[in-house]
Amino acid sequence: MSTKLFRIIPLNPTALLIEYNQQPSKVLLEKLLSFKLLVEKQAKVTRCVMGYQSLIIHLNEEIKNLSWWKNHLNELQIQIKKVKLNKAKLWKIPVCYDNKYAPDIISLSKALKLEIEELISIHTQTKYRIYFLGFLPGFLYLEGLNKRLHFPRKENPILNVPKGAVGIGGKQTGIYPNLSPGGWHLIGNTPLTLFDIKQNPPCFASPGDWVSFTSIDQKTYQDLEKKIKKDKFKFMPHD
Amino acid sequence: MIEVIRHGFYTSVQDKGRFNYESYGVPLSGALDQQSFRMANRILNNNPKAAAIEITIKGPKIRFHQKTFITLTGAKIEAKINGLKINNYIPIQVLEGDILEMGITKNGCRTYLGVAGGIKTEKVMGSRSQFHGLTREDRICKKMLLPIGNSNFVPLKRARISLPIRDYSKKEIEVYPGPEFDQLTQVQKKNLLNSSFSLSNLNNRMAFRLKEKLKNELPQIWTAPVIPGTMQCTPQGSLIILMRDAQVTGGYPRILQLNNKGINFLSQKKTEDKLYFKLLSRIE
Repeated sequence: MSTKLFRIIPLNPTALLIEYNQQPSKVLLEKLLSFKLLVEKQAKVTRCVMGYQSLIIHLNEEIKNLSWWKNHLNELQIQIKKVKLNKAKLWKIPVCYDNKYAPDIISLSKALKLEIEELISIHTQTKYRIYFLGFLPGFLYLEGLNKRLHFPRKENPILNVPKGAVGIGGKQTGIYPNLSPGGWHLIGNTPLTLFDIKQNPPCFASPGDWVSFTSIDQKTYQDLEKKIKKDKFKFMPHD
Repeated sequence: MIEVIRHGFYTSVQDKGRFNYESYGVPLSGALDQQSFRMANRILNNNPKAAAIEITIKGPKIRFHQKTFITLTGAKIEAKINGLKINNYIPIQVLEGDILEMGITKNGCRTYLGVAGGIKTEKVMGSRSQFHGLTREDRICKKMLLPIGNSNFVPLKRARISLPIRDYSKKEIEVYPGPEFDQLTQVQKKNLLNSSFSLSNLNNRMAFRLKEKLKNELPQIWTAPVIPGTMQCTPQGSLIILMRDAQVTGGYPRILQLNNKGINFLSQKKTEDKLYFKLLSRIE
């Protein structure tokens, strides 16, 4: 082989890193998802964790023979074409972009030289793909932010970003699942809970799914918030 | 039940950790020094998964509301029951109403207080390890009441399990090369492996940052999964070793990787402690 498809690096005696020699893309995402499904079925594998172009495979025994693993993983890689992934769902997440919930929307729209309405319309017109979860429990890594909304993070992160805050940082957009520090520009807030320890799975969305944002007014936000508090709201995906 | 009268510096309930939820962004957590934690359960004949109390630098003061056995492992700590000194690494009987008061850790940083039957606080996603946003509290605080399990543990009269007291004064930590290690120059590798480092005051259950920096021109990486023991190197040269409460993904180059032994050992190091790294060859 001239260029290898991926490199396999043992991190410690029970973890292997598989890193693809490709830029992140829709194609690579589906490869990783398929490979993860296959690998997690192997008896010696306890679990698999994803990033943009890599996977960590956790084993239930120590690596005794790395070449055996390399061969085995290469053979599995050939089989990924046969894997049928679950149909990706679309989650339309309601977001209130009113100033009350969007402390940085005025400053960001000025900096981007856009009208606030334009900013909202660009942000809501895109379908974003979930690549993986990380950073915080329930934080979705979303791909697809329109170039016109790219903007560097704040130089000084703030300590108390509220739960549900929707932000823009660099080339990314995302939702803060819980109160946490953060350096993104906050342009809205969703009343939905992204991470709920009482649910299994704790997050409604999975890698490979799509997310879009729907603009709602304050009244709708507050009604939804009440319903969610009373457990009278079930968030459903669109196919 | 045990009652917390004073919580100490940073005291939390910990067990083996929270596995299988990393794909939802949930850190592993669990006792930082897993070896000492295991030892506590072994001494009390507990289930290896039973939760214990992790004590950092300064211990708590607690009252027992029931008769049980306890043990202290890990860093040596001044400890008294109703004013009488007790030793580490042996099972000790406590009676209802007894007060255990702990001082400062001596030869290390973290002590484990094991209780026969284990600490029985709420289990969230398969673990009792306290973590911000998951468990009701992220650590133990004054006035908390912690339920404890039942156990028919009786210490064997003659058996004195001889346990190796670990030497935490050692400075050497074994490391594997990380995924981006080969991108370092010869000089950078030499600096990393032939210098002594010291622990900055930024050290907690999430990560330990070293005081010294490593000048580098390493390119950033695409956000990738990380595991406890990963040493990241930032563009400013900061060296950060991820610990058990660390985020599950990261975007800084990963230059070294500690094994479990190394993480356990590092957990016993305090601010200003010196260390150096001994490179192991890659696993084959």
